[in-house]
Amino acid sequence: MNSYDITTTDVLVVGAGLAGERAAVAAAEAGHNVIILSLIPPRRSHSSAAQGGMQASLGNAAMGKGDNPDVHMYDTVKGSDWGCEQDVARMFVETAPIAVREMAHWGVPWSRVRNEKRMYEGTEIVEDPEKVGLINARNFGGTAKWRTCYTSDGAGHTLLYAMDSIVIKLGITVHDRMEAIELIHDGERCYGVVARSLRDGELHVYIAKTTVIATGGFGRLYAASTNAIINDGGGVAMALNSGVVPLGNMEAIQFHPTGMVPSWILITEGARGEGGHLLDKDGYRFMPDYEPKYKELASRDVVSRRIMQHIRAGHGVESPYGPHVWLDIRHLGEHRINTYLREISTIARTFAGIDPVKELIPVRPTQHYTMGGIRTNKDGKVYGLDNLFSLGESACWDLHGFNRLGGNSLAETVVAGRIVGKKIAEYTNDATLEVKSNLIQEHVNKVSARMDAIRARGKNGENWVDIRKEMQMTLELDVGIFRTGEHLQHAVSKLSDLYERAQNVGLMGGGGQGADPELVNAMRLPGMLKLALTIARGALERKESRGSHFREDYPKRDDENWLKRTLAYWPEGAKLPELKYESITITEIPPGDRGYGESSGKK
Amino acid sequence: MSPRELTFHIFRYDPETPEVKPHTQTFKIPEEPAMTLFVALNKIRDEQDPTLKFDFVCRASICGSCGMLINGKASLACKTLTKDLPSDITLFPLPAFKLLGDLSVDTGTWFRDMSVRTESWIHTDKVFDETAQEEKMDDDLSLEIYEAERCIECGCCVGVCATANIRPNFIGATGINRVSRFMLDPRDKRDEQEYFEVVGNDDGIFGCVGLMACDDSCPIGVPLRGQLAYVRRKMAVAGWHRK
Amino acid sequence: MYLQKALTKSIRTDFIVEMVQMVSGLLLVLFLWTHMVFVASILLGQSSFGALAGFMDKYELLPVTVVVLIFIFAAHIGAIMRHLPARWAEQKVAWRHAKMIRHKDTWSWLFQIVTGFGILLFAFIHIVAVTYGGISVSLSKGRIDNPGFLIFYAILLLMSEYHASVGLYRIFVKWGFVNRHRLDRVLGVVTLLMLVIGFVTLGVFLTLKVAGGGVA
Ligand SMILES: Cc1cc2nc3c(=O)[nH]c(=O)nc-3n(C[C@H](O)[C@H](O)[C@H](O)COP(=O)(O)OP(=O)(O)OC[C@H]3O[C@@H](n4cnc5c(N)ncnc54)[C@H](O)[C@@H]3O)c2cc1C
Ligand code: HEM
Ligand code: SF4
Ligand code: SF4
Ligand code: FES
Repeated sequence: MNSYDITTTDVLVVGAGLAGERAAVAAAEAGHNVIILSLIPPRRSHSSAAQGGMQASLGNAAMGKGDNPDVHMYDTVKGSDWGCEQDVARMFVETAPIAVREMAHWGVPWSRVRNEKRMYEGTEIVEDPEKVGLINARNFGGTAKWRTCYTSDGAGHTLLYAMDSIVIKLGITVHDRMEAIELIHDGERCYGVVARSLRDGELHVYIAKTTVIATGGFGRLYAASTNAIINDGGGVAMALNSGVVPLGNMEAIQFHPTGMVPSWILITEGARGEGGHLLDKDGYRFMPDYEPKYKELASRDVVSRRIMQHIRAGHGVESPYGPHVWLDIRHLGEHRINTYLREISTIARTFAGIDPVKELIPVRPTQHYTMGGIRTNKDGKVYGLDNLFSLGESACWDLHGFNRLGGNSLAETVVAGRIVGKKIAEYTNDATLEVKSNLIQEHVNKVSARMDAIRARGKNGENWVDIRKEMQMTLELDVGIFRTGEHLQHAVSKLSDLYERAQNVGLMGGGGQGADPELVNAMRLPGMLKLALTIARGALERKESRGSHFREDYPKRDDENWLKRTLAYWPEGAKLPELKYESITITEIPPGDRGYGESSGKK
Repeated sequence: MSPRELTFHIFRYDPETPEVKPHTQTFKIPEEPAMTLFVALNKIRDEQDPTLKFDFVCRASICGSCGMLINGKASLACKTLTKDLPSDITLFPLPAFKLLGDLSVDTGTWFRDMSVRTESWIHTDKVFDETAQEEKMDDDLSLEIYEAERCIECGCCVGVCATANIRPNFIGATGINRVSRFMLDPRDKRDEQEYFEVVGNDDGIFGCVGLMACDDSCPIGVPLRGQLAYVRRKMAVAGWHRK
Repeated sequence: MYLQKALTKSIRTDFIVEMVQMVSGLLLVLFLWTHMVFVASILLGQSSFGALAGFMDKYELLPVTVVVLIFIFAAHIGAIMRHLPARWAEQKVAWRHAKMIRHKDTWSWLFQIVTGFGILLFAFIHIVAVTYGGISVSLSKGRIDNPGFLIFYAILLLMSEYHASVGLYRIFVKWGFVNRHRLDRVLGVVTLLMLVIGFVTLGVFLTLKVAGGGVA
């Protein structure tokens, strides 16, 4: 039996990205004791990688004039292909401007409206002198107005640093290099987590009145992803493992149109927002043919599909890493590229040896965002277990439905942080802290038994590296941008096999002592496969096309049968996820035409 | 042309097993096109030694996890292309930080401590008003603040700093840069004397001997020399005025 | 912050020490260069050197200079001690560190420390020699003629110049007055100039035919 120490607190937040930290701040401001756990130092969380910006309808920029929450609402719902919760979206759009200003109050050096004229796509933009010095906005895909607030090329970085500065100011305890691996629960209520230190491999028990999961996305299930390599879904898998918590809409996976070939590092949408073009192998700008109105700036799912469609039609540029298209920002000029898109030019120079002032950047749609996640109600409370909340990319609060608008997820983290954070604080006021010690022991034993088994199998077990690679390729090839029943069926059976093999994972290297990275990865493997299966199975069953989920065998949206959300459960001992469905809340905007994508424009 | 074979000499040490003395271990792998040290190290771990410890998160020079000494130069491993290196590559963890094992060091704790000591948050008496429009700021000023805020806390400037290696309490160029970020910011109400209390000493700006190893190493290109000089001048004035 | 530290340390100490270090360093540079020009007056002919030396003697400037100098030296050394990797273990760290990171400026700092201590030793000998011997063309010439003294002066010259130019360079860099790399070159040229003057002077002394004693 392993020894462990126990820490108790009012609120335990798993995840130190923007979402987790904002909720922690809300709880701490209400007077609660808060502990945050994170795999890595908070400021290294993937939120820092968001370069583009966050949406809020301030309407300061000339091109955002007349913007308001209603317009933002409509864009969001339309973008989600009517898959989002409209009451959630309404709260969100109303709160986003407050959240942006609050972040300014906390120190984000937002880019401001400048007193200068500039040319954009052939028209001259003249800013309102009254608005000079207020928070500026740039153009992002799928929005009617320029609404994306930004800090040069470092929106996520500056947001996270400002947020973390408040966490430090409030003296909130952060335990970094601490991985939560098991929820302590009795099937009804959550009491905290069993965690493992990535410094020395010791187990730690955290007991809390309220537990919050804000562990971000899980793009690393795919072979080519823009996500950080720690984004492998540990927190979400932990919730699924409880057997009683459902994951919502796991099949809704976003592919970003412009991942750079072959490192799959993201070239932000800001590049197209600032006026970048997509070119094919003949140097021809093809997007206006498909999307005459929005061109490169239709919603992400649409642009990604149009690129793949164009590549399939034989217009892609061949490369050892598969066909791709070009992103062209040369016409923006050296000054704009090196000031407002500096990160992009750095990335292109460093990772591909390309100077975007003079050369084209090779890009291809790449896995980018997971709309699905731990299903919560509009207060952020997780379905199925009491005293458990979730928010941010790990949650399915359901603001994004089947396609997230660029800039809406950074906004979601701080907006949900405000809203859900307050709810957490209220909820914790009434919560008690009591837990049976044998319940703790039971969960600790479960974890240590798994570790011991892996250690015992040693070299006789399966190699986690092989299984992970096969899983990633399976999702990449069979559950990608264009999906068919046949491929999805193949994916489900392949992933099931891998899941079985993952039960026998061993260690190829050392003995799995201390913080051995191999044991860490081997422990994560079964959970990752469970998530992969919920994605594949959800996609197989959803016999329609909606947002980013595109079935070639069912190319139309089917509101009659499928205007509903998938809920995936994984009962104890099951070999496959169990799918249920729930209806979607529609309060103001009935399903309609998106105005871009397959239903409109030229094919 | 056949690909080069790369020979890595990697520092190995596990504080959990102090009986095994620090040593370097050699690995050989074939070079691939556009190979970064991120790709190379993962290849070594996946195929040759699964116990090798190193830290990567974003693999895109954004998060600051992967600072190390690459043939003696501190930089981010994820943004270092092998084609820019000779075929013998020596990797050491960043000095000055607590060693967690092999190439992994505890920069997180160091930076948290530095942030606490420099009180790295906006000091203000104003209470946030949900209904009010934001305060105006000149865009050039916000760019200037951002310039200092671009630091990703990778620790390269600390690892190479002779002072930081000798004096554990020295806040390093990154800490001084951090202070300059708040000095620039009109939202922070601290005056020069309050800043002086934070950095007007040997653990702050007057501990810096001006070797500029930091300035030569910052992988993000934060203008550290300028920031150090800016804070030094401000603090000299503050020190002069101080009663 | 620890209690004892909070209680005992004036918050301005570090600042003052830093300023003392810089000002004393600058004064020493000033001295070094004047001293050099002074000695170089031999290039203009024996009589000008002699006149200067006589002038110094007449107004008892020598002892004054020596006292002031010792004072400045003391201030300089006192101030720098706080930055120095003084303890042995720290010395080892600093040297190993410089080796590991292969960074030019870091090496130059370590050499500055070495040359500093070298100067301390040599200057001590030099001052003793000058004080007890007095300054005159023939005396100076006598010292130079001794090959031991020649090497002695050559080394002192090299060390002082190196030390002073690196010190100046760092002062400018620290305060951000100039572009680093341009400064590097400017100071290089100045140092070279000083070295040339110094060596030519030594050379002149060497080839000098002393015409009967010093100037009275
Ligand atoms: C390259 C890129 C660019 C993007 N650009 C934009 C943009 O311009 N605009 C926009 O709106 N959105 C953007 N996004 C999306 C947005 O950045 C993310 O959705 C958002 O930051 C997620 O925040 P989060 O707080 O939910 O999670 P994260 O910031 O990912 O944080 C997750 C936290 O959970 C911790 N954690 C995870 N698992 C565990 C565990 N088991 N135990 C303990 N801790 C754990 C991690 O350590 C981390 O601290 C981008 C995403 C990517 C990948
Ligand atoms: C010819 C005589 C000397 C001259 C012209 C001179 C000049 C200088 C100058 C200009 C500096 C830079 C000061 C600063 O960075 O603020 C300096 C630094 C230094 N000096 Fe001297 N100095 C002399 C003698 C000495 C002596 C005798 C020592 C003996 C120990 C010494 C040791 C040092 C050291 C170690 C430094 C580096 C201090 C630091 O930056 O931490 N110097 N000197
Ligand atoms: S200039 Fe100062 S902070 Fe930078 S390396 Fe040198 S001593 Fe350290
Ligand atoms: S200043 Fe530069 S080198 Fe130093 S921690 Fe920040 S990013 Fe890294
Ligand atoms: S892994 Fe993030 S900076 Fe290198």
